[in-house]
Amino acid sequence: MSDPSKPRAAFAPWDRRELPGLFTVEESARRVGTYKWLEMRLFESLGGWVATVPELDVKLVLGRHCYHHAWHAELMDKRLPELREMNTDRLCEPANPEMVAFVAALQEPEAPEHTIEKLVGIFRVLLPRKIAAYTYHMNATSRITDSPTQRSLGFMLQDEFEDWREGEMLLQSLIETPEDVERAARRQAELETLVLAAGGIAGPGTLGSDVVTEGASV
Amino acid sequence: MRKQLPPEMLARDSRFVRTSIMDQVMDPRNAKMGERELGSARLQPERPAAADRARNLMHGIFTGEIQALEGAGRTTFDFDDDEAPFALKLDMARQCWDESRHVEISVKLGDWMGTEIGEYSEATFLYEAACAPDPILRLCGVNRALEGLAIDVFNTMREFGDLSGDPVLEFCEDWMLADEVTHVKMGSDWLRRLTADDPERRERALDFQRTVDKLFSLGGFRGESEENPIQLARTFRSMAGFSTDEIDELAEIAAQAQEDARAMVAGGS
Amino acid sequence: MSNVTLTPAEFTLVKFDADQVRALIDQTLGEIEFPVDVDVTIDVDEVLPHPLTASMANVVDGAAHLWYTGGCFESPKRQTGLSVDHTRVELGVGLLRAKDRLVGGFENAPADEQLDDRQRTLWDTYAEGRLVPLGFPVRIPRRRYTFRLYGGFNDVADAAFEQLWTGAPITWDGLSAMAESLAAADTRPERKKSLRKETLRQAPAA
Ligand SMILES: [Fe+2]
Ligand SMILES: [Fe+2]
Repeated sequence: MSDPSKPRAAFAPWDRRELPGLFTVEESARRVGTYKWLEMRLFESLGGWVATVPELDVKLVLGRHCYHHAWHAELMDKRLPELREMNTDRLCEPANPEMVAFVAALQEPEAPEHTIEKLVGIFRVLLPRKIAAYTYHMNATSRITDSPTQRSLGFMLQDEFEDWREGEMLLQSLIETPEDVERAARRQAELETLVLAAGGIAGPGTLGSDVVTEGASV
Repeated sequence: MRKQLPPEMLARDSRFVRTSIMDQVMDPRNAKMGERELGSARLQPERPAAADRARNLMHGIFTGEIQALEGAGRTTFDFDDDEAPFALKLDMARQCWDESRHVEISVKLGDWMGTEIGEYSEATFLYEAACAPDPILRLCGVNRALEGLAIDVFNTMREFGDLSGDPVLEFCEDWMLADEVTHVKMGSDWLRRLTADDPERRERALDFQRTVDKLFSLGGFRGESEENPIQLARTFRSMAGFSTDEIDELAEIAAQAQEDARAMVAGGS
Repeated sequence: MSNVTLTPAEFTLVKFDADQVRALIDQTLGEIEFPVDVDVTIDVDEVLPHPLTASMANVVDGAAHLWYTGGCFESPKRQTGLSVDHTRVELGVGLLRAKDRLVGGFENAPADEQLDDRQRTLWDTYAEGRLVPLGFPVRIPRRRYTFRLYGGFNDVADAAFEQLWTGAPITWDGLSAMAESLAAADTRPERKKSLRKETLRQAPAA
């Protein structure tokens, strides 16, 4: 029988979580605000596109994914007050004007024959970018102090991976000719160029390059 | 992509055919039908042509679900953050997922009942109600009026499934009914919240709802008598937040629509 | 070749081309090898639209008398327009049942007006199943659902459907016995076992 009075370490030997993390409260909140803004624009785009895609399977998938991203926006919205931002609208904003330009370009296709362009924007550009940014946030922030953000990001990433796979499969089934391949590649390049100009979905340093020195102190 | 997508731009594959309103209105059989003693129009297994009537209604549900999905989707997109609150958009996104599942269920039910996608022509009335420029009008027209109608339709179909001993139909309709009750409630809650300080806007929205309700009671399609194919589902409607007065008013609208239809037939023949 | 009378001779309420319908009747008579010396009368009540589908196939004084609602031939996609596929299948089923009454072991079957929904759906299934090898555009899920609606949502009914759908010969006696076995296996309350009480076939009100 174990001895209940025996002192044990607060962290079990296999629990390797450490302090500090790379993000300050402000930096984590700023990022969470940009995520919320982007998730909102994303679920709105998917919702808007539902009526414009003739492919029944794509229509239904967009309807389903629309809610996934709305839920992500809600998770981020709920996290903001815990990060000292009581007015959650204040931080719910794009990382920079380049990000606004990227989202405007992403949302542009409307015609029923442009399903490939719509899906490439979401599944070959935006979702991979989100997966990268959320993964970086998970890895960079303190797994102790910013654990609630991490937990939410974990749920979100699970959706992102599954949604990305589903979207990629839809795309592969829609791309039928070398011309389609060309279309998809061209669209991807256009949007990648724009998101590159924004420095990633959370602006310059989305994947850490600028943040390490500034945010390392705790 | 533009804000406000008109109904004629709803994207469909080659299987779908849009109902021609002119063909419907100008159909010379309409007046002749009024002269017939066709008995109860209530959808029941023992009534003539029950299988084809049920299939027809099922396909109508299917296209209605597609348009409900599209309408909810457009409401997430068409309005800026200051026009539609964040939480309202979240509700609409949630409804998108629900309606997406309803389309899936309807496709499976169509398979089960022996219809094919696009077998019947599609009318876009439902989506048209989702094109109102004020989000609260949309919520009244779609969530309260049309989702309310969906409650009546699903309940009718559920009863049809029960009476015919069809386990699949009854099961599916019961699940869809559960979602629709939530959607109607969403509409009622938002109406209250957004118009608490704006009685004029509230009245405009309720007026729009009455117009849509009347449209969908047209010709006695929905009501409480044996003559109505779709029966008003009082219990589920009250679960969805309709007051008894509101349900009574709707019953009156339905009865009036039926009277109008009768008068039209009498006048035309 | 049978002497065929189509009523109305010209359609006025629906956009059916009567010549096209007559051609489809002739084609069907040939495809199902309808007795060539039997006259055929086909009445179409063009007032009744889709989905108000109903039909009768009787033999009176050695002649086949068929009745359909216009809805049986109407395209659900194009109001008042003709669906060739639906028309072919409806004519195929009706004429095969008339042929059964003449030469197929259904000589002692009651008139259609006296059949209950269960008997009728069994017979329709037997007829439609025989259209499959002849290349008619039949849709098995559609027939199967109608069969279950009137025959029961259970294994006994499903087995009966499979048997009838093969088109293996059966007589009225065999079919009515099968209807009785389905009734016995049907656990739905009696009032839910639909009996044909109402009919769409009637003269317009004066
Ligand atoms: Fe629905
Ligand atoms: Fe709904």
